[in-house]
Amino acid sequence: MRGTMKNKSPMSKISSAITEIQRIEDLQKRDQWLNRIHPLVKLACTCFYIVCLVSFHPYDIQGVLSMGLYPLILFMAGDLSITDCLRRVRIVLPLVCLIGLFNPIFDRTPMLLFGFVVRAGFVSMLTLILKGVFAVLSSYILIASTSIENLCYAMSLLHLPGILITEILLIYRYVGLLLSETERITQAYSLRAPGQKGVHFKVWGSLAGQLLLRSMDRANDVFDSMSLRGYSSDFRYIKQYVRWRPSDIIYLALWCAVFLFLRNFPLLLLVGSLFI
Amino acid sequence: MGQIEIRNLTFAYKKGADILKDISLSVAPNESVGLVGANGAGKSTLLKVLVGLNMGFSGSVMIDSVPVEKKTLAGIRQKTGYVFQDSDSQLFMTTVGEDVAFGPRNYGLSESEVRARTDAALAETGITHLKDRTIMKLSGGEKKLASIATILSMEPEILLLDEPSITLDPRNRRNIINILNRIQATKIIASHDLDMIMDICSRTILMAGGKIIADGPTDQILRDRELLEGNSLELPLRLQSGSR
Repeated sequence: MRGTMKNKSPMSKISSAITEIQRIEDLQKRDQWLNRIHPLVKLACTCFYIVCLVSFHPYDIQGVLSMGLYPLILFMAGDLSITDCLRRVRIVLPLVCLIGLFNPIFDRTPMLLFGFVVRAGFVSMLTLILKGVFAVLSSYILIASTSIENLCYAMSLLHLPGILITEILLIYRYVGLLLSETERITQAYSLRAPGQKGVHFKVWGSLAGQLLLRSMDRANDVFDSMSLRGYSSDFRYIKQYVRWRPSDIIYLALWCAVFLFLRNFPLLLLVGSLFI
Repeated sequence: MGQIEIRNLTFAYKKGADILKDISLSVAPNESVGLVGANGAGKSTLLKVLVGLNMGFSGSVMIDSVPVEKKTLAGIRQKTGYVFQDSDSQLFMTTVGEDVAFGPRNYGLSESEVRARTDAALAETGITHLKDRTIMKLSGGEKKLASIATILSMEPEILLLDEPSITLDPRNRRNIINILNRIQATKIIASHDLDMIMDICSRTILMAGGKIIADGPTDQILRDRELLEGNSLELPLRLQSGSR
């Protein structure tokens, strides 16, 4: 019996994962207006957007659809590629779509949607999917325009616990370590298990344990290395690069107003009524 | 500056199992000191004490007359660069350039100063062409050079290097020797590569079992076959071939 942990060309998988991280970091470093907005403003805006988004009634698909305005505008104005985004979040999207899959089975109440009679469960499923997709897209916009250090700095301004912020920052830094340790372990295994297509399930436990211990060891060294080069969780170095500007306040106020409007007024119906 | 003063230093990871035992030594500014000894002699532990990675020691450790304590660590680490034995532990950013810039940026330098220091450190180590290279795609020698560059960009007054020539091919090893000889700073190099110590350090400290066994001019210590062999070491290769 063989497990599903395939060790087929682990190097290429790890390399492509690292390349992907680097591409996201390249996006974060662009000199775009969206990247220059204060990280706290972008974080607050994204959080408020998600709160407004999830607060829609399960049957209010038109309201949820109108919330697509935010990612749509930012993708266009921020010069972000929707294709790249969908490729990067392709693992998450099926999970998002799975939410509410059984709603049409359990909720058979008939209701009207865009002139068609459909099951209410079908509408709530679509609403859930849209909510999930929009939440993922808005998070992607935040990540693609804000470095992890700036994001953590924004969290520190919100007085989130320092240990939590440091954890988030270090997890990001340790992804590479984890990948390279995984590569070493799987290579060492495959060299001593020729002909096997995967890692035998009997050694999954010891391999995972080794991976954890080695990663912890190296993570400790990396933290030491960061500390020796002046890292501290107070983000004092970011303070001189990231400054408040009037446009940040305007950006936040504007989007909050838009979200509140979309939350309380049916934009699609209002637009539709102009043509009918 | 770059002066180190250690008095009666004793350190243990676990109570009752001292790794460093009553060590006293002083290193003058711009002095190059080789730290040699068998595995487990306490070389790396001593270097880590100097930068405050190993705290909870007894005795006193002073860097430029400032005691190594929790509250003084930020200042001490700004002037003391530590190069890890394993380069993978040293490098954590995505690209070489970002990693080299990490230290200066953390210490609040302006972006133009950060860029200037990054470029200078990369040029000094001869890896300017690797600036945008992903860390994962570097060879062992390139990683070691990048590790040294990450420290040079902080312009340290004291440089502590743990086995800088380990896993390097002869060309990269010679390259690192040349770089270290060019750098004007106090240097303490822990290594088993006694030939490299002879090329860089004017003074050598021999450690065994957490104690200083000998401390003196490199030429004197590393030519003492009896002393070296009595402490699980051998004469440097160049002296071995010369004696045949």
